[in-house]
Amino acid sequence: MTLGYAVRTRTFAFRGWDRFDYLLLLTSAMLVVYGLVLIHSASSTTYDGPLTSFANPVARQALFAIISLGIMFAISQVDYHHLTHYAWYLYIAGILSLIAVLVFGTEAYGSTRWFDLGIIQVQPSEFAKLATILLLARFFSEHGGDARELRALVVSLVIVVPAALLVFIEPDLGTSVVFAAIWLGVVVIAGVNRGHLLLLGAAALAVLPFAWTFALEDYQVERISVLVNPDESPLDAGYNVIQSQIAVGSGQVFGKGLMNGEQTQLRYLKVPTKDFIFSVLGEELGFAGALALFLLFIVLLLRIIRAAQIAGDTAGQLIAVGIAMLILMQAFINIAVNLSIFPVTGIPLPFLSQGGSSLMSMFIALGIVQSVIIRHRAYRQT
Amino acid sequence: MSVFGDELRPSSTPSRMRPHGNLLVLRLAVLVLFGVLVVRLVDMQIVKGDEYARRSRNNHIVATNILPARGLIYARGGEPLVENAGVYAATLIPEFLPDEPDARYRIYVWLEDTLGVPALDSQTRVAAAEKNSRPGQAIVMKSHLSREEALMLEEASTDMPGLSLRIVPGRNYIGGDAFAHVLGYIGPQTAEEARLLRDEGYAFNEPVGKAGIESRYESALRGEIGFSANEQDAYGNLLNVLMTRESTPGNSLRLSIDLDLQQYVAELLEDSLGDANTAAAVVMSPRTGEVYALVSVPTYDNNLFGDLERRQEEYEALATDDKRHPLLNQALTESAPGSTFKLVTAAAALEEGNITPATGLNVTSTVLEFKGENGVIYPLYDWRAHGYINLVDAIAWSSNHYFYMASCGIQNGGKGLGRNTEESAVILGYYARAFGLGQKTGIDLDAGEMSGIIPSPEYKRRVHSGPEFNPEDREWYYADTCFMGIGQQDVTATPLQIARMTAAIANGGRLLTPHVVSEILGPNGAVLRAMQPEYTDVAVDPAHLEVIRRGMRSSVAAGAGAKAAQPGLDIAGKTGTAEFGPEKADGKREQHAWFTGFAPYTDPEVVVTVYFDLGVGGDKAAPVAGQIFRYFEDHVKP
Repeated sequence: MTLGYAVRTRTFAFRGWDRFDYLLLLTSAMLVVYGLVLIHSASSTTYDGPLTSFANPVARQALFAIISLGIMFAISQVDYHHLTHYAWYLYIAGILSLIAVLVFGTEAYGSTRWFDLGIIQVQPSEFAKLATILLLARFFSEHGGDARELRALVVSLVIVVPAALLVFIEPDLGTSVVFAAIWLGVVVIAGVNRGHLLLLGAAALAVLPFAWTFALEDYQVERISVLVNPDESPLDAGYNVIQSQIAVGSGQVFGKGLMNGEQTQLRYLKVPTKDFIFSVLGEELGFAGALALFLLFIVLLLRIIRAAQIAGDTAGQLIAVGIAMLILMQAFINIAVNLSIFPVTGIPLPFLSQGGSSLMSMFIALGIVQSVIIRHRAYRQT
Repeated sequence: MSVFGDELRPSSTPSRMRPHGNLLVLRLAVLVLFGVLVVRLVDMQIVKGDEYARRSRNNHIVATNILPARGLIYARGGEPLVENAGVYAATLIPEFLPDEPDARYRIYVWLEDTLGVPALDSQTRVAAAEKNSRPGQAIVMKSHLSREEALMLEEASTDMPGLSLRIVPGRNYIGGDAFAHVLGYIGPQTAEEARLLRDEGYAFNEPVGKAGIESRYESALRGEIGFSANEQDAYGNLLNVLMTRESTPGNSLRLSIDLDLQQYVAELLEDSLGDANTAAAVVMSPRTGEVYALVSVPTYDNNLFGDLERRQEEYEALATDDKRHPLLNQALTESAPGSTFKLVTAAAALEEGNITPATGLNVTSTVLEFKGENGVIYPLYDWRAHGYINLVDAIAWSSNHYFYMASCGIQNGGKGLGRNTEESAVILGYYARAFGLGQKTGIDLDAGEMSGIIPSPEYKRRVHSGPEFNPEDREWYYADTCFMGIGQQDVTATPLQIARMTAAIANGGRLLTPHVVSEILGPNGAVLRAMQPEYTDVAVDPAHLEVIRRGMRSSVAAGAGAKAAQPGLDIAGKTGTAEFGPEKADGKREQHAWFTGFAPYTDPEVVVTVYFDLGVGGDKAAPVAGQIFRYFEDHVKP
């Protein structure tokens, strides 16, 4: 430890400001603002009170965003090794909270995913995802955690499967898929043997038909089958699919303009500020607006992958990889649902969808990434 | 000092300090996944964008039909015979009902408490509609609400989503039962009608005329449907009107039928029925063909068709009354015309020249014997021994023998109309048709008008062609022509046809098309179209008709039709007593009573035809006709 470093820490309350990824911060902030604009448009028919009222979903979301930013800065100050150090505790707490939500949680739209804490609904799976990423990172960065060995691969599966199964029971098919994607991303970067991966993939394919028959609820099968032919049941399962298709498709190249989307403003879209916020974007801002969003997400994700690139150690790298996969898959699944290429499942669009719990977990994740960046390899070598 | 710095690192020092993963895979994954989304977006927003834009418009723009106000119908004097009245109905639209069972049940209970619709009923019907995936269609829970009920419903429906008041256009017929057959009624389209009417721009819920004037003048009465295009949100609330085309009200009709006369005649027939089951009367102008009254007894309340839900039993009683057939318009229903047909026989014989006005016959016996084709001697009866009579007397006293002579010919009395029996029948048929018999009159009513039958040898062969008939049943005999000459055999005619024939005799040979509508009026009351008399000329010498008219005058003045006479009125007429059905135990058959006549004798202005299904013409029909002439003279006469 050099003297210069010590001086700097004394001078600035916010340490690591010179290595902090401001571009990552900027893109995430832009995504949030983008979301606020869309929430404003989508909620204008249901809310017409003052802009600053706490009942205004835009104001609430903005408040959550400010709190989340604060949490992000705080977490970026914590060495991520503290987090990996306690990863087992965090993981167990995550698993317990997933069990607890099944028992005590609030049911909505046919599944039990939330704790209702009055002003905010907490979704424990958001926390469990981060805990799982931390544990995977710790496991592969420790002795014996070599992903090239089948034994290590199986242990990593044992870490992921309980969490994925518990959210599957809720049921929350989308989040299960996110868990699977996180695991896949982490093991690939951790240097998995391609043969092992193929073996596991084949096993998964073999189990799939049984899952379709036994594990999937009727409504899930229906949600998958309406993708093929949404017009079959236009009022029930196909409703959201058809309405979101019409919304996005009718937006065409430049959209109908903010506050001008008939599908949105006439309330044909259900939950337009949450799961179907992308349909609002597609309808009102069109293809151009969607490309802008994609660009922001791609910049954000590439910055997180950069963090993995420059991470000081394997743990930091795998944390960044896991978080990149988390954000990538959530965004992809959510948008894919809006574009009717993935069954309807309650995954919010990261940074944009209304909801404090999701927003906060995203910024916690970014805080961890910043923590990895601040303690990157180049810095460590100095 | 550095709490978050180095001292923790040894405990979690990775096995390999240098990360070795290939992050290019991850970068590619990001680009590929977003690439998939971009491809899908291009397909949806750019390739299929127009299609989705169209669907988006259809999604929220709903067209609502604005039904036109149906034209009204007025009697001759301008008295309204019908008014438009909405029928209020309580409907449930399952799609808009609240999801919570409690809120739903509150609506069902309201229906039960306020309108008496059992809550269980509502529940079952809504469940059935939802099961059949028809949640968007309104279920009529109760129709024909009172105004108070409708108001309560309107008020309650504001906070009971799914419950609504529907107003179905309806008609209230206020001219009384006497007009039931003439006016007809309106009703919902049947499935077959709906297919045809849709092409004419009808809305599915638009009622159409089903009978009578309502049906015949449907296109005039209907008006033009309007519509409004409204913007609707996902919950069915109308937000704003994008475009409206108002409906155009239908045109109104003024009838030639006189309100008071029609009601008077209906009551008169009803009161005079006696043993008879049914009766009919036609009062028309021999100058224009305008019908002043067209009455069929028994009648019924045609308002019941607008309220079949509640009056089903009443309707079935009417529809299954085989004796009186109240739903049939007797004035357009055929039956044997009897001696009224002798007027045609007279015209035919005069025209053919086999008799002249001066031709006489001495009827000394009621029985006239003739030798049938099989050599057997048959009797032909007259109703009395008239003594020596000429044509005028024969009409006045309705001599059968004289008209046998005029049609089929009798021994010592000259030949018939033609060279032989069959030809005589064909010639007589030709004149009958010339006077409008055996064909529809073309009156402007959809009321199941019958054409009547004018038999002929060919007709007899055809109707007796079945295997159940003997070959000799198909032969046309001498007696067939004779009986045809007095309006028997298979001859049938409707009271309206007889009135029309009478009018042609009265006006010197114009066969008028009778009509009940005299003017079509625009919504502002202006006359759009006034019906002009339509007629064809009957190819009979007016002088011959003059002789027949004299016979008819003589009938009322001092003949078989004397009971039709009214002081101060110069009435001419002809009675008819037509036998029909099988012989009874006493050898007699049932008889229809007819009287047809016109007045005044010079320059006739009204024709009256009266028919009872049972009775003797001179006794039953003639006095009634006389009273109608009297009423017309005193109250209606233009």
